[in-house]
Amino acid sequence: MPGDTLVDERVAADTGAVLGTSASDLKAATIGKSSRRRALGLTGQYAMLVLLAAIVLIPLVFAVLQALSPPFSYLNAGAPLHPVDVQWKHGTWLSGGPFSVVVRTLIVVAALAWVQLKVAGGTVRHPRALASPRRLIAVAAGTVATGVMASQIWSASVDRSPSTPAWWVGSVILVGATQIIGFERLRPVWRPLLLGGLTGLFVTAVVVVAFGAAVWNTAYHDGNLGPALLRSLTVTTLITIAQLVTATMAAYAFAFLRFPFKNLLFAVALGTLLLPLEVTLLANVQLIRTLGWVNSNAGLVIPFAATAFGTFLIRQGFRGVPPEIQDATRLDGYGHMAFLWRFAVPLTRPVIASFTVIAALGAWNQYLWPRSVVDDSRYQTAQLALRTITGTNVAESNRSVAAALIVALPVVALLLAFSRQIIRGLTAGAVKG
Amino acid sequence: MTTAESRQDAGVRDATPADTPGAAAPARPRPRRWRRKRPRYRLKDVLLAYALLAPSMVIFVVFFYRPFLNLMHWGTFESRRNGAFFEPVGLRLYREQLSGRDFLDGAWHSFQFVLYTVPAGLILGILLAVAAHRRLKGIKIFQAIFSSTIASSVAVTSVVFLYFFQPTIGLFKVDWLTNPDMAMFAVSLTSVWQNLGLSFVIVLAGLQTIPDEVVEAATLDGYGPTRRLLRITLPLLSPVLLFLLVILVIHGLQAFAQIDILTKGGPVQATETLVYKIQRLSRPDNITIGAVYSVGLFFITLFITALQFSILNRRVHYAR
Repeated sequence: MPGDTLVDERVAADTGAVLGTSASDLKAATIGKSSRRRALGLTGQYAMLVLLAAIVLIPLVFAVLQALSPPFSYLNAGAPLHPVDVQWKHGTWLSGGPFSVVVRTLIVVAALAWVQLKVAGGTVRHPRALASPRRLIAVAAGTVATGVMASQIWSASVDRSPSTPAWWVGSVILVGATQIIGFERLRPVWRPLLLGGLTGLFVTAVVVVAFGAAVWNTAYHDGNLGPALLRSLTVTTLITIAQLVTATMAAYAFAFLRFPFKNLLFAVALGTLLLPLEVTLLANVQLIRTLGWVNSNAGLVIPFAATAFGTFLIRQGFRGVPPEIQDATRLDGYGHMAFLWRFAVPLTRPVIASFTVIAALGAWNQYLWPRSVVDDSRYQTAQLALRTITGTNVAESNRSVAAALIVALPVVALLLAFSRQIIRGLTAGAVKG
Repeated sequence: MTTAESRQDAGVRDATPADTPGAAAPARPRPRRWRRKRPRYRLKDVLLAYALLAPSMVIFVVFFYRPFLNLMHWGTFESRRNGAFFEPVGLRLYREQLSGRDFLDGAWHSFQFVLYTVPAGLILGILLAVAAHRRLKGIKIFQAIFSSTIASSVAVTSVVFLYFFQPTIGLFKVDWLTNPDMAMFAVSLTSVWQNLGLSFVIVLAGLQTIPDEVVEAATLDGYGPTRRLLRITLPLLSPVLLFLLVILVIHGLQAFAQIDILTKGGPVQATETLVYKIQRLSRPDNITIGAVYSVGLFFITLFITALQFSILNRRVHYAR
């Protein structure tokens, strides 16, 4: 009966999680008759997921391939599924200035600590599980191993030495072995081995490619990405702060205060949703020219200093604040500002956090407006810089792909750190609550 | 009336007829005493509210409403001697340009882009979300992968795909970007990939609101997976899908960066969408035509944005 199998699957999954064995093992043991069909179903589900994941990731994988390989060498090699003729930086883990050494070491420490923490069953918010001597040793030894082996791989790669693959294998094994020190409680024995091997492979690959390939530096310098990224960062920060302040202020007025023409003003705010930038572009560009704000931070920021979407979102959050709290604070003699800062804002923190991240994402990704009000390369944002770089010669087109990946990196970091907030912000309005 | 109710009232329907003084008088038995006990507005609150609203309102008027009125006004002029002076021509420019070849071409290209990106976005979004909405070990990893294209901006995606489409050194080695028949399809393809993450995230959020009991009940009734999807899941998802549809259509109508980076409107203007045309019409000699186009774009998007607004409003009304 279909119902029975469903319930069985649940129970099996739950007990499996409790006992620390994999759900599929348990199911195969308990259910028996139709287990082969279900195992096939499980394999099928994973196969489908892996296929879909491959489809989503293929452009990304190819982008990394293209960034690493000079286009014509890649073609001459018959377009294989691995990078060709990669240019490597001369140097070891300790070269490139103290700042970059510290940053790359910290990145490796963070990655290894995260792996150890996850395997120990902790979360980023509750990192106590990490505080065991074996795990700390694993992180420290893994970092040292990564640094030493990465230096070896780089120098072997620069010399086009035939021993390069051997160093790769050595690095995977060594880094993996240091990690297994920390995986004390994992059984059966193949699990720590597999997990250690995967960690070693992943850490080695990312570290060698990200910190050793020369193309990132060339793209960064040729494309003048430094100033462009700084400009984007400035503009994004200013827009986000401005939107946050104006939207919170307006939302407070709409949610908690009584005043004449409230609905009219609310309609005025929401009406701006009908006037996207694309529609008012020409007149706004003209306005910016009249004000003399072409090529300036003011021109890039001030038109976006207020937002109807944010006002609306935060007002919704404020309306979820229990009225008893408002009444109680009033009796206690809190004024409006104290109520806003001490109660309304902290109580709606999830909403405000999602809005902040979404606002930052939107500001970072802006293209049409900067394109229309910036014509001086010193005021280019990162997205505009990409457009400029694509104009360079075809033989070095791998640099523009590399530049694109560099520009995407801050957003990737944002996504990794605040994925829940981003998803909540993007789906605001799609589902209730 | 409890405190909660009265507060709800104040927040939700402030200026409904029943609340305005004139209309309230007949409904309430003792209007004067009511008013004496609880003044309608407190001066301090009113001043504070206006102070809090002032920054937003100034921005809204200066950078949203006034520019739009300007554009409508500029559309009634025609440029003479390369913008040296403008002659008022009434609605002639609106009549001629909005039915002109160029505007209709632009609208057609925008429509093409929407046609290529939206259905594909919806279907792939549903596919990914249904695939990833299940209890399996490690499903979080797949969900993270499926939503990863959120991290890529339109410009980043376009640059990456530009070299996929490069005819001699690209990975696809196709000549689509210089082929008038295929250029729009190629541009759309980049956006389809770019939108995967957004569509996935939205549909998945919708799926997660469907109670497990409903699906289980359908399973008990002997519904197979396909029938469950078509008869139970998709109908329950319909508000979310409508929301996604509107978002994708609006994104499609506003597409600019893809075209600017990949084709620059070419070949032979085959990818010049309305927004692309408008962005180019900013010189003094053609800005009045650009103004007319902008107003045209406004009315095209008005319908769709109004739809979005109504959905947003309805969702939020029942939110708490």
